[in-house]
Amino acid sequence: MTNAPPPASGPAPSGEGRVTHFGFETIPEGDKASRVRGVFERVAARYDLMNDLMSGGLHRLWKDAMVDWLAPRDGMRLLDVAGGTGDIAFRVKRRAPGASVTVLDLTEPMLLEGRRRAEARGIAGLSWVVGDAMALPFADASFDAWTIAFGIRNVTRPEAALAEAFRVLRRGGRLLVLEFSHVAPPLLERAYDLYSFNVIPALGGAVAGDRDSYRYLVESIRRFPDQEAFADLVRQAGFERVGWRNLTFGVAALHSGWKI
Amino acid sequence: MTDWDGDDPAAEAAEPAGGSRAFDPRMLEALVCPQTHGPLTFDPARQELVSRAAHLAFPVRDGIPIMLLSEARALD
Repeated sequence: MTNAPPPASGPAPSGEGRVTHFGFETIPEGDKASRVRGVFERVAARYDLMNDLMSGGLHRLWKDAMVDWLAPRDGMRLLDVAGGTGDIAFRVKRRAPGASVTVLDLTEPMLLEGRRRAEARGIAGLSWVVGDAMALPFADASFDAWTIAFGIRNVTRPEAALAEAFRVLRRGGRLLVLEFSHVAPPLLERAYDLYSFNVIPALGGAVAGDRDSYRYLVESIRRFPDQEAFADLVRQAGFERVGWRNLTFGVAALHSGWKI
Repeated sequence: MTDWDGDDPAAEAAEPAGGSRAFDPRMLEALVCPQTHGPLTFDPARQELVSRAAHLAFPVRDGIPIMLLSEARALD
């Protein structure tokens, strides 16, 4: 990790002085949501392209793997968080047309893009809600499954989002988190670092005219806890039978937990 | 859940083709106030979801409820 910045100073215990990370910057906690919204409002229309660039097209297969593991059934009540453009929701509806899917996202443009795509594909029966993963507008125990794909690292306090997931899931409910993670083989990790820190922001600048947003996305991936550390956060939120699967040598990881 | 495929006439009426969308009141069955987890009521005139307990009104824009405290209007 030669590109790693000096470690951020530890967060203050409480109050207004709390800080979080925005990529490799350390910023006040209160600023993160609006800055993340800014990134996604700028990239919404090119979001698929961005995912393709960052994953070499593999994000489609990883999302398929996530829905495979979820094994959706008709009647399942699913909340897909940060699911703006509908990638997970559409896969679930294809597998289980009778599933009840609510898509929640922090940014309106992402949801509008998702709803437009749903209509273009003739997929009905989805609910679209702008909301905060850390303060969900849903009652306790109201979902059978809670999913988030490439969204948890953008949440100001991921542990607060996991706590909310636990609250809105029923007993026996399932949590699934798909996120870029930490590549296991060291040589591969170095190659991936070179690619992601040098190539992706340049591509983002060339293709979307927004180098800084793409640099944020790469940095936020590196700042995110590794597989073991994130599994600990899932356990601390109350989930049991916690596990994960590496996808493509850990470029992404799929985390699972149950509310028992 | 059998009405997902759009056969439900209420769903058809709630989503007119093109233009601004209507809020589907059936969403009130699932939505609660993100602050109090209490119930919400829909004000069609203002296009707002009102949480009496929190004294907050959440906007509905183009049929999509905006359930963010940062976007909510404080009520007297």
